[in-house]
Amino acid sequence: MTAVPVPVRVVFTDGFSHQYTGGLKEFDLEARTLRDVIKTLDERYPGLGEHLQEETTVAIDGEIHENPQYQPVKAGSEIFFIPKLEGG
Amino acid sequence: MNEIKKPFKWVGTAPVRPDGVPKVTGTAKYGNDYTLPGTLYGKILRSPHAHARIKSIDTSKAEKLPGVKAVITAKDFPDQNFAYIGAERVAVNFWHVTRNIMAREKALYEGHSVAAVAAVDAQTAAKACALIKVDYEVLPHAIDVDEAMKPNAPLLFEDMKTRGVEPAPKKSSNISKQLNFAIGDVASGFKGADVVVEKEFRTAAVHQGYIEPHACLARYDADGQGEIWSSSQGHFIVRGLTAKLVGMKLGDLKVNPAEIGGGFGGKTVVYLEPVAMLLSKKCGHPVRINMSRDEVFKATGPTSGSSMWVKIGAKKDGTLVAAEGIFKFQAGAFPGSPVMNACLCAFAPYNIPNQKATGYDVVCNRPKSAAYRAPGSPISAFAVESVLDIVAKKIGMDPLAMRMKNAAHIGTPTIAGPKHAHEGYAETVQAILDHPGYKTKLGKNQGRGAASGYWFNGGGESGATVNINADGTAVVATGSMDVGGSRASMAIMAAETLGIDYNKVRALVNDTTAVPYTHVTGGSRVTYATGLAVVGACEKVIAELRKRAAMIWDVDVEGVVWEDGHARPASTNVGEFDPLSLAELAAKAGATGGPIGATGSVNAGGQAPGFSTQFCDVEVDPDTGKVTILRFVAAQDAGRAIHRAYVEGQIQGGVVQGIGWALNEEYIYNDKGKLTNAGFLDYRMPVASDLPNIEALIVEVPNPNHPFGVKGVGEVNICPPMAAIANAIANAVGRRMESLPMSPPKLLEALDHRKGTEL
Repeated sequence: MTAVPVPVRVVFTDGFSHQYTGGLKEFDLEARTLRDVIKTLDERYPGLGEHLQEETTVAIDGEIHENPQYQPVKAGSEIFFIPKLEGG
Repeated sequence: MNEIKKPFKWVGTAPVRPDGVPKVTGTAKYGNDYTLPGTLYGKILRSPHAHARIKSIDTSKAEKLPGVKAVITAKDFPDQNFAYIGAERVAVNFWHVTRNIMAREKALYEGHSVAAVAAVDAQTAAKACALIKVDYEVLPHAIDVDEAMKPNAPLLFEDMKTRGVEPAPKKSSNISKQLNFAIGDVASGFKGADVVVEKEFRTAAVHQGYIEPHACLARYDADGQGEIWSSSQGHFIVRGLTAKLVGMKLGDLKVNPAEIGGGFGGKTVVYLEPVAMLLSKKCGHPVRINMSRDEVFKATGPTSGSSMWVKIGAKKDGTLVAAEGIFKFQAGAFPGSPVMNACLCAFAPYNIPNQKATGYDVVCNRPKSAAYRAPGSPISAFAVESVLDIVAKKIGMDPLAMRMKNAAHIGTPTIAGPKHAHEGYAETVQAILDHPGYKTKLGKNQGRGAASGYWFNGGGESGATVNINADGTAVVATGSMDVGGSRASMAIMAAETLGIDYNKVRALVNDTTAVPYTHVTGGSRVTYATGLAVVGACEKVIAELRKRAAMIWDVDVEGVVWEDGHARPASTNVGEFDPLSLAELAAKAGATGGPIGATGSVNAGGQAPGFSTQFCDVEVDPDTGKVTILRFVAAQDAGRAIHRAYVEGQIQGGVVQGIGWALNEEYIYNDKGKLTNAGFLDYRMPVASDLPNIEALIVEVPNPNHPFGVKGVGEVNICPPMAAIANAIANAVGRRMESLPMSPPKLLEALDHRKGTEL
C-alpha cells in the first residue's frame, strides 16, 4: 500500500452512471486503496459505496479483483467498476 | 495429443481420472440413485397452457386418494419480496424465483409447475396429479422475442416497466431491461469506413441437453433440520436457494453432491429441491423427485433465442474502425437472459476504437432461460463473426488475417471499459493459420469457414481442505462439484505442489458441512479459483511439514526447505541431515504435534479470459440441404493445461454442442404456445456418427496470476462454431444463412429461392 494517496482515474459504465451518478462516468480521485476510492465516491453520492460493493467487479489496469477492498492502487491506475458476471 | 515439454512432473499430463472406474462400472451415484427408508415418490403437476391466470386450485380429491401423503401448491411456500438482489447480471429477484418454482397468480409457460404431490408410488402420484383441479383462464401468449416486444403484445407481468431507461417508461411492456454500452463514437467511426456491412440474425432457443434429467432426494426432520442429495453444479447454491425458498436457516440444511450427468450451466439453479423439501416437511417422509425428459425440455432453462442486428465498418486495409450491435434476447417467463454477456463479449477479441452495444432482456411464454456454456457470448458471436466474414470477403482479405490484424492485445480497450490485461487471442488465430488443413483445396459444394470467440472466465469464492494421512497419502476435498474433471485437476495440482505421486492423492467433493463455502461450478472458474484454494492449502501443509522437520532436526524452521516432496536443510550451515519425505513426516505426525492438514479459501481475482479460434470444412448436399462437417479444428488458449485430455475433451465438447446449435437444435412451438419437440427424437442433437474427429489445439499463454498459469477452458469453445459453419456454408454454396439452426429445410429454401451468390 502506498503511504500517501496517489491520483487515480475511476470509470463507470453508461448504465451504472445513469443509474447512480447522474450520468457522470469518469472521476479523478486520490486514493491509497480501493477502499479509499469507494469511501470517497460514497461521500459524493451517499449510498453509492454499497452499490459498488454489491453490484460490481473491479478491474484495476485491466486485472479483475473479486475482493478489492484492500487492494492497493498505483499512481495513474485506471479503475473500472464493471457489472458482475456469471458463467455456465 | 500434443505433448509439450514442461518443468512440471504432473501438470500437463493426463493421468487416470479419479471418477473413471465408478462411472464405467456403474457404481457412481447420480441424483436419482439415492434413497432412504420410507422414501416417497414426488410428482409435479404442470400447466398445459402457455399463458393462463390461475383462478383456483382444488387439491381435495387428490389429498383423499389412498397412498397420497402430501399435496402442495404455491401457497405452501413463503412469498418473497419483490427486489432485485445482487449484481446486475446475476441479480436474483426471489419474487420471481419462487413463482418459477411454483406458479402463483399465473402460469407463464407450458410445463410451469402448479402443484406437487408425494405418494407411496409413481402410479398413485400420477393419479393424484390428475385429481387436482386447476381452474385456468387461458390468456394470449407471446413466444417470439420480436413479437413480445411489440407495444400490443400480451403482457406476462401487467406492471413490468423497462429497467435501464431514463426516465422510466410509463407504459408496461415485456422488456424487462435495456442495456447500453459504448466506447468511442460509432457514428464518426462508420463515416471513416471504406466498407460497412450490416445484417440481421436470429438464433433459436437451445437446451443444454445434459443426459441426466434433474433429480433429488430431500428429507426434512422433526427438529427443523434437513438434508438433500442432488446432482447440481453447486451444492452450496442448492443449499442457499432451497433455504431461502422454503424458509430454513443455512446451518439447518446439509446438501450432498451427487455425481452429475452433465450440466453445461443448466444446473446452476434449482427446480426440484425446494419442492421435495416442502413435501417432506409436510408429510414427514423423505421425498424423491425426478424429471422426465419431457419435463426437462419444458420446464428447465434453455438458453435464449435471439433477434440481432450487427453493423461493422472497416478500412480497405482491413482495419476495423466501428462496430455496433442490437441484441434482443428471450429471457423466458422471468427476467434474466444473458444479454449483458452478449453485449460485452460481442467485439471483445478485437481492437475496435468505436463500439456500441444495446441489449434487451425480454420476457416471453417460454421456460425461464438458464445459463448455457459462455451464456450469451455464442449468440452475439454468431452475428458478429458472420459479419466479419462478409467484411473480409468485401475487401478481399483472408478472414483470419483480418482478425489477426485487429487482434486485441494487452492494453486494448473493451466495451465494458477496462483494457485487456492478458494476451492469448492472436496466438489462437496463429495456431489456425499454421494448421496445414487451413490451406488444403476443397471440392464441389465444399466450403471453409473460420470464426473466433471470447469468454471472461471466472474467479470468486472457493474452499478446499488438504489432509495428510499416516502413510503419506493425501486427501484433497473441495466444494466444487465435478462436472468437467476437477477432481483430477485438483489432485494434479496438489501432487505438483506437495511433490508427491498423483496416485497418492485422493480428490473428493465434500458436502456443505465439510468444506468451506464454494461458489458454483460454472463460468470456467473451478480449475482457476478452486485450484488456488487447493494450492493455498497445500502451501500451509508444506509450512507445517517444514516445522515438523525442524522440530525433528532441532533447527529453526527457516533452515528447512521443501523440495520434490522432501524436507531438506536449506544449506550445509543448518547441519547434515538426510531428507525427510512427506511419508516419513506423516508417520511421525502424532509425535510431532498431531494431524497435519490445512484449509485454503479464496475469493479469487486475476482470472484471465478465454479465446478460441476455429475453422471447419463442410459439404452441402444441394438436393437435401444437409450439411456434413468434414473437418473441425479448434484452437483455444488454456493458459496452461493441467490435465491435457480433459482440456481436449472440453474443447471437443463445446464444439460438438456448437455444431448442434448451428445445424439442428431448436425449440419448436405450435400456435397454442406448446413445445412440439420435447424429446431427443425430435430435438436433434448431434451424435457420434454426425461428427468427424474434432481436432483440439491447446494454445498455452500462461496466466501469471496462477501458480501453474491456469485459464478457464470450459466455455469459450462453444462461441465460434455457429459462425464458422455459417461462413463455411457461404463459402461452399454462396448462401449467407442468418438464422439458426441452418437445418436442411432452411438451407434448401435458400438454395431454391435466392438468386445470385451471397458473401
